[in-house]
Amino acid sequence: MRTAIVFIIGLFLFGCGSEGISPADTAYVFQQPSNFPPATYTFENNPVTKDRFELGRALFYDPVLSADSTIACANCHQQVRSFSDPVHKFSKGVNDVSGFRNAPAIQNMAFQAHFFWDGGVNHLDFVPINAITSEIEMAESLSHVVTKLSRSDVYREKFENAFGTGEVSSQKMLYALSQFMNMMISADSRYDRYIRHEGETLTADEAAGMKLFATKCSTCHATDMFTDGTFRNNGLNETFAQDSGRARVTESADDRGKFKVPSLRNAELTFPYMHDGRFRTLQEVLNHYAHSVKESETLDPALKQNGALGIVMTDDEKAKIILYIKTLTDRNFTNDKRFSNPFLN
Amino acid sequence: MKKICSLLFVGVILLSTVSCSDDESIAESGPITLEFDNVVGATNLQLNTTNTPYTNAKGEAYKLTWLTYYVSNVKLKKADGTVFEDPIKSDGSAGYYLVDENDAASQEITLKNVPAGDYTEVTFTIGVDASQVDQGAQTGALDPAKGLFWSWNSGYIFLAIEGVSPASTETENVFQYHVGGYKADAASSQVNNVRTITLSFNGDTAPVRAQHEPEVHLLFDVNKFFNGTGEQVTFSTNASRHSPKACETLAGNIAASFVVDHVHAN
Repeated sequence: MRTAIVFIIGLFLFGCGSEGISPADTAYVFQQPSNFPPATYTFENNPVTKDRFELGRALFYDPVLSADSTIACANCHQQVRSFSDPVHKFSKGVNDVSGFRNAPAIQNMAFQAHFFWDGGVNHLDFVPINAITSEIEMAESLSHVVTKLSRSDVYREKFENAFGTGEVSSQKMLYALSQFMNMMISADSRYDRYIRHEGETLTADEAAGMKLFATKCSTCHATDMFTDGTFRNNGLNETFAQDSGRARVTESADDRGKFKVPSLRNAELTFPYMHDGRFRTLQEVLNHYAHSVKESETLDPALKQNGALGIVMTDDEKAKIILYIKTLTDRNFTNDKRFSNPFLN
Repeated sequence: MKKICSLLFVGVILLSTVSCSDDESIAESGPITLEFDNVVGATNLQLNTTNTPYTNAKGEAYKLTWLTYYVSNVKLKKADGTVFEDPIKSDGSAGYYLVDENDAASQEITLKNVPAGDYTEVTFTIGVDASQVDQGAQTGALDPAKGLFWSWNSGYIFLAIEGVSPASTETENVFQYHVGGYKADAASSQVNNVRTITLSFNGDTAPVRAQHEPEVHLLFDVNKFFNGTGEQVTFSTNASRHSPKACETLAGNIAASFVVDHVHAN
């Protein structure tokens, strides 16, 4: 009975106190961009706080998550490139082992239903498990990471601040990493400020590119997420022996060669492109869609209209589309100090 | 604003007082234990034997090195049809149990605060379903650090059974069957290997009272699992399975592998 009253008073105080939130604190409140779809993340289980976010930030930049303490999340996900890999087509794991897919950008994670190129993970909390335990990435076990963090006075204090107990668990570690990634919202590009009528304008060529994009690209790169979140075969290969993509998860032949449609936000920064990083420039990407789409059983129907492979685009149209895609670059995101390496400050 | 809050405060206190006054009239309740005993036919299962003492229906000798499975969503039904549901917490800290042959204590699942009554039937799930996995990072029995979590195709391994058979062509003649997969949806053709099992107490009753602690003794028969109607296992082919579809037919063997052996009224 007494606990019930204390709890209710707590709720009550919290509810009335939230009026007077200071501007500094809003930096650690999840804010839904008006032009984005609703967030998919289960915030009710893991509400954002500054201490949890900061714990997640430390973990993101700390190689302690890997087997030999050489690889941090940030090795392959660097802020300057919208948290994609600035160096490698295939990122390097412990012992210099190569991955087999291009490291995707980490941005707007709170709004996604599926993660990784094959969509094998469907909750943000589980994303780090894949990287930590993969033999070609961090090659570590979750239980050993928990052990290592438990040995650290610094981390025990961070866990204490974040969760009210210094007892480290995989759940708390994953919650903290999710907090950090949930806050990594890129919604402040020139495009966003234009579309939200915040005083931004597009050049004539960018505006023309926007119209072309709507007819030639937005079937897949839909909504202001610039992806419809589906898995499609975009005609890169005729056979998929090397990487069957979505079929690796669904074990269905219908999904062979299908990969998640990536968001084009910050695409200017996230080169090289495609799951295998085969294209170095946006120009090469558009050339592929115009001229080199390959036939296969699972090729997306959008890339074979009226019996013709690919998307009809002139060189001038491609150039304008690229100019438009570059309006999706969000330097405020890639320069946001909240997401920078805390060990360098 | 202050005035409204104060009024609310008084209201909330009143409400909580009213709702808590029921506490005195809580009906009688007690615990009940479900014991999950793993056997091979008529013999108790022994892990890591020096020889291969067991034989499947294909005549292949084998031994087991590991057997573990998740039990959840436990429901108990009374003779009058009313059902008690073991409470589940969204973070996995309650309602999920990992039965591991290596850990005798894990094989006895005690449910507390079960309303008094004469129970005649149990329902439970082997596996971890979408409603739970979709809640995100879990703790307790579902802590992914326990190692029963697929990272590349996220979700839990519902049942892991590993051993050795001379018939296996895998390295060191091992076999490994990891049954999991919960992401069934028509669009992606993925399979749902979560299995829910209902077993009657065969005419017996488990009387839950404040003074009685009945125990329901269940058996999981490894040979029934290998020789089921979903698939009759041969260790000579495909003896290393680690994906939902590869284990779909094995999941079909799970339900019939469990029986209620007897009930102790205690």
